[in-house]
Amino acid sequence: MKIKIRKRYLFFVLAFSSAIIAAIVSGIDTIAVKNINDQWAVSLSCFILAFIVSGSCGLILSIPIKDKSLGGKTIDPTFKRLRLLTKKEVKYHLLAGLGNAIMTIGYFAMFPLLDNNASLVLPFSQVAILYLIITECITEKDTPTLVEIQSSIIVTFGAILGSISLTGNVSLETLLIVFLVINPGTVLFSTYQRKLKIMKVNERPNDAINIRVWNVVFALLFTSAIVLSYDIISGGSHFYYGILVSIQQFWWMALIAFGTFFSFVFYIRALGIGKASVTQAVKASSIIFSIPVTIALTGIGDFSDPTMLVIRIMGIVLMMLGIISFAVTLAKAYIFIKMETGYPIEGTMKRLWGIKGINRVNAVAGPYDFIIKVHTRTLVKGYERILRKVQEIPGIKEYRWQSVLKEWEDI
Amino acid sequence: MINAYILINMKPGNSDKAIEKMRKIEDIAKISIVAGEYDIVVRAQVKSLDRLLKVTDSIQMIDGVMKTTTQIIEKEITS
Repeated sequence: MKIKIRKRYLFFVLAFSSAIIAAIVSGIDTIAVKNINDQWAVSLSCFILAFIVSGSCGLILSIPIKDKSLGGKTIDPTFKRLRLLTKKEVKYHLLAGLGNAIMTIGYFAMFPLLDNNASLVLPFSQVAILYLIITECITEKDTPTLVEIQSSIIVTFGAILGSISLTGNVSLETLLIVFLVINPGTVLFSTYQRKLKIMKVNERPNDAINIRVWNVVFALLFTSAIVLSYDIISGGSHFYYGILVSIQQFWWMALIAFGTFFSFVFYIRALGIGKASVTQAVKASSIIFSIPVTIALTGIGDFSDPTMLVIRIMGIVLMMLGIISFAVTLAKAYIFIKMETGYPIEGTMKRLWGIKGINRVNAVAGPYDFIIKVHTRTLVKGYERILRKVQEIPGIKEYRWQSVLKEWEDI
Repeated sequence: MINAYILINMKPGNSDKAIEKMRKIEDIAKISIVAGEYDIVVRAQVKSLDRLLKVTDSIQMIDGVMKTTTQIIEKEITS
């Protein structure tokens, strides 16, 4: 017997779990990285260990229990077992893997520039949300609305305020790395992971565990290639040192990789439900969760300055507001359509699908001919951008708008 | 896999209890309460038409359900 839960809640549960784990991992990062001075080597060994850990987690989760696998029972219901990639997936995985490699190398390259303090790096990485909104404007079917842009900006500023350190100094070099390396990397990574998650493989929805495992494989390849070519250009031996670090710091790095694996599996599942920018915004709450982690690791010292405390609280309040407004402003509706005879179904389906904001078109048998599902942030937009366009399509005899008031779903 | 929408008209008054019961029916992938001509839209995902009949049957057995209209999906485009 399956019990349905509200999809909206599941999305936040997933995104928040991902954020909490990410916060803990970033704390461990800071400790682990202190001992190693070579940032290229750290990035490489990160992926070597991620490959070992995700691979073995994937295998363990593939163990069948009755008719389902362990992973399918616990983490992602669509997961069956680790499998090879289809041709269609490889293209997206190449891009997502490249994004992850760039993002990680950039992230670790920041550490020496900022006295090994990750909390200085994190706030600026959140600006990726704004990059994602811009890419979604271009690529997604549904253009961001004012509410989405507004909430994203609130969350981004909140994230920056919430984690800014008044004592640290940020150089131009660091800002360049953040805006030109880390954020574009994040965008590439999130956009293509989302595409992979919503893709159907062999008539089944794609699962987060396979996506994560294969992403790590491709990211490892790209990182190796980047580190090796840097070695050849500069004559260094970062590649060799990277392998050495993986062996010497095995347990620390494995712990990071283990946490990251689960953080990303949840993140990818959340990506499959919500837009990339919204998911990223909710995940930005890792900043809130990283505060207790920082206290646990470095002591209360950081909070002795009251101004600092006030700014952080302001930042957190802003973030919470932004996230809540994402959650409460989504309106969904069905439109049932009856057609006149003499208009080809295929053509009408394509025209309906071409309207922005329509995210599902069904040709059905029964009293109606089409059932379409609409997601919109405001009802005004629902009329202006969607209903009016639907009416323009020739051959529509009758249509009925049904606003969804509440919804349950199993995923 | 056969996907279908089942559009439901309810008698006023019992919808909370009816939804509780619907949430327990297997093969129902989604339940939406809607405002308009219908009251509830259910999306069923079944292996065969035989199973679909069972789903509509168990929905009709629920107290408060007045009428169901089944729309079988022939083709779907989704993101």
